[in-house]
Amino acid sequence: MSRFTGLIPLALVRPFNALGGLLLLVAAMLPWATFLLNDGPFPEKSTLQYFDAPFELTGFRWHLLVFGVVALVTTFVPLRGKDRVLRALGWGGLVIGLVCGYFIAENGGGFGAITAADGASAFGSVVAVLGGLLLILGSMAKPLDEIPEWPTSLFGLTGMAARLEAYAYLIVAFAGVLWLVTQTLTAGGIGGAAFPYAGPIFLAFLGFAGGLLGALHGIGLTRWVSHLSEKHRAFSIIVLLACAFLLPFPFTGAGSQYWMQVAAVIGVYAATAIGLNIVVGLAGLLDLGYVAFMGIGAFVAANLSGAVASQVGLDLPFPVAALIAAVIAGIFGAIVGSPTLRVRGDYLAIVTLAFGEIFTRAAQNNIGELTGGASAIPGVPQVTMFGTAFNEKITLFGAELPSGVLYYFMIVLVVGAIMAVFANLKNSRMGRAWIAIREDEDAARAMGIRTGKAKILAFLVGAMLAGLAGAIFVHKLGTASYDSFKFLESVTLLAAVILGGMGTIPGAVLGASLLFVLPEKLREFDDFRLFFFGLALVFIMRFRPQGLVPDRHRRAELAGETAEGKPIETEEEQAVLEHEERGHAGPSAPKEDRA
Amino acid sequence: MTTLLQQIANGLVLGATIGLIALGYTMVYGIIQLINFAHGEVFMVGAFGGLAVYRWVLPESVRGDWYISLPAMLVGGVVVAVVIAVLMERFAYRPLRNAPRLAPLITALGVSVALQEAIRLWFPNADAAQPFPRVFIDAQVRLGDVSIPASGLLLIVVSVILAVLLQTYISRSRMGRAMRATSQDRDTARLMGVNPDRVIVLTFVLGATLAGIAGVLYGSFITNVDNSIGFQNGIFAFTAAVLGGIGSLRGAVIGAFIIGLIKSLGGQYMPGGTQYDYVWIFVVLILVLVFRPQGLFGEAERVRA
Repeated sequence: MSRFTGLIPLALVRPFNALGGLLLLVAAMLPWATFLLNDGPFPEKSTLQYFDAPFELTGFRWHLLVFGVVALVTTFVPLRGKDRVLRALGWGGLVIGLVCGYFIAENGGGFGAITAADGASAFGSVVAVLGGLLLILGSMAKPLDEIPEWPTSLFGLTGMAARLEAYAYLIVAFAGVLWLVTQTLTAGGIGGAAFPYAGPIFLAFLGFAGGLLGALHGIGLTRWVSHLSEKHRAFSIIVLLACAFLLPFPFTGAGSQYWMQVAAVIGVYAATAIGLNIVVGLAGLLDLGYVAFMGIGAFVAANLSGAVASQVGLDLPFPVAALIAAVIAGIFGAIVGSPTLRVRGDYLAIVTLAFGEIFTRAAQNNIGELTGGASAIPGVPQVTMFGTAFNEKITLFGAELPSGVLYYFMIVLVVGAIMAVFANLKNSRMGRAWIAIREDEDAARAMGIRTGKAKILAFLVGAMLAGLAGAIFVHKLGTASYDSFKFLESVTLLAAVILGGMGTIPGAVLGASLLFVLPEKLREFDDFRLFFFGLALVFIMRFRPQGLVPDRHRRAELAGETAEGKPIETEEEQAVLEHEERGHAGPSAPKEDRA
Repeated sequence: MTTLLQQIANGLVLGATIGLIALGYTMVYGIIQLINFAHGEVFMVGAFGGLAVYRWVLPESVRGDWYISLPAMLVGGVVVAVVIAVLMERFAYRPLRNAPRLAPLITALGVSVALQEAIRLWFPNADAAQPFPRVFIDAQVRLGDVSIPASGLLLIVVSVILAVLLQTYISRSRMGRAMRATSQDRDTARLMGVNPDRVIVLTFVLGATLAGIAGVLYGSFITNVDNSIGFQNGIFAFTAAVLGGIGSLRGAVIGAFIIGLIKSLGGQYMPGGTQYDYVWIFVVLILVLVFRPQGLFGEAERVRA
């Protein structure tokens, strides 16, 4: 149930949806900007002067066309879960319309740019917003259908044939994911002066991607794929890794040095976010100083790397240094975690925050000559293996890969390994103990779980992962500075985990990617980044505390839904509705009863 | 000896500031068991509210008269702080009142970051420290060998008076009784005719009033403010509230003075000097939380989920 339920009469649902779809379609064909903007024409030939061939649509206008057609077809076709599809398409269209409309109006001088000015009219964004709204209203008029379940094998195959069939679906699905990722990364180009419209195009693409995924989720496809991949986990991990390795190749469009840089940094933060997810998402221990462990790993690795500025004077090979960094960070994790034996909940959050602040202060003041203080430890050498420095270009299978690609490969491997560790931990005895502690510590203890050991172990494992990520980070960056490991980084990581969905791997990766790609794309909003992070935390906690990719248990806990994703209160409300219908004598009847 | 006394005096001034903030922390925690992370930002916003009044409301001619400009700035700071706190309660915390405990804490963190950034972005020039007018008598008061700025002395006096007033209000007035009832058992209080929503809003208003006053007085004491004063002092205040036993007003004030003294004396006498003074506070915080989580004056920890 939502607050829109019952806002429009059921008889109007289909006209609303049909009109909404039609409007999206029309919006795709309309011009979007009345005049040439100062920064050059708005992309996809959407400025009036550049608008010559209405049916050769590209970019966001093509996406809108697709949405419109699909919405129209869906409206008139009996399809299970179709109101979810329509709602997702509506949100997608709304986002595209709002984003492009806002940017054109804001960049091009006001309202005239997106309506009518100088005798020219360009109502594209307005119509798209309207269409999106109609679809959302129409699809939310009644409680949403359940997401349909799909059989494991669509053709009723069994045994080996079913397995091969599933493999084929998984390959297609992951190829689709790869396509979506490269499209997302490259949408709008690199933010900055060369691509003035990187921000809006990227956001509009996110609207498209969100609408697409939402629609696929509505017909049960994503759930089916995730079910398949869980069933064939080893195979899907292999395919996923293969996809990740294909990303830097020239044919994907994301194979430039710039995107490899971005992808490697995202990978580091994703790895850290998964580590934080163990502490926060699984064990339910809020850690506000988590980035300190990454910092410890980074400084340890920097000191052991043979950098000129390091005072230790050791030059260990990278794998050894990274291992030592992870272990030392893990030891600190256990130390910081030890108050968990006595301190609970929000008090613990403060202890971790205090620890994080102590770390920053100590690093800033160059404690023990180990951190370089304000001048940092510069000149951390590149990782070198088999005579190749990791920042060189390499040629693989006849394709020239951009420089930095080796870091990307290493990060992919590390993230893959961390994902495997996380998935196995989550389903292990210890992982179940963590979840039990998160749900109710006293009950967990009563069930014979040694809560103290489990909590310290959560901190230790999380800190080790962060330390490892920090070691890679410092080699990639070449400098270890306390500035990279401040409280706000902890907040950003926490925001990544919460936005993605606490306790899930795809959630942590998705959250980290979004929070670190968005600033790249939205350079003109860089100043507002933290402000929006803060607001985002507030809004997520208010409207979607379970995050974008909710964990099943977590959803049960935070969103008042059962583990299957059905709202808990449905039955109750159903009973109330039935009751009202039985005593049906107009809305005033119950009052008279009571009187 | 003179150094010691001088540092004690500095510590007391800092303690007075922290105490005013800590009272808000401890009241809110006592009633809704929420660590209102953003309370430090309310203090910061209060300081900027006072600054805004001085810059854009007060006419040039009266700016020099502290008995006009200081009250005006206090009113400005308090109004801004109260408005922010009430909005925060209404739109961020109230919808989450029955959510799992971590949810409002994360929200509070978000509010805190957003407020800091909002000031940096939209208060003119606030991306760097802003000079705060020396509105109060700009002189040093000498007590023997020790000298305290008059504004520091004012801060101590005001803080003690307000703490006593607040204690009296909560223990004597009808609304204070409602607050105590709500903090003990919200549902039973509701049955007895107390409106918990009103009580909670009042708690936020009282806390914000103290924080706003503290913001303006602190600003005129240190003579320049930036958007990070709230976070730092907020953490100190939280430490003080925990040290004194969270939920206890007397504990918060005494804890605050102890924290102030730790910072100034630690910066003077501990290894590392003032660069590490901050660290000693956190060490104390961790030790208190680990070994005496109920604090100096708090009741033994209740079972909490």
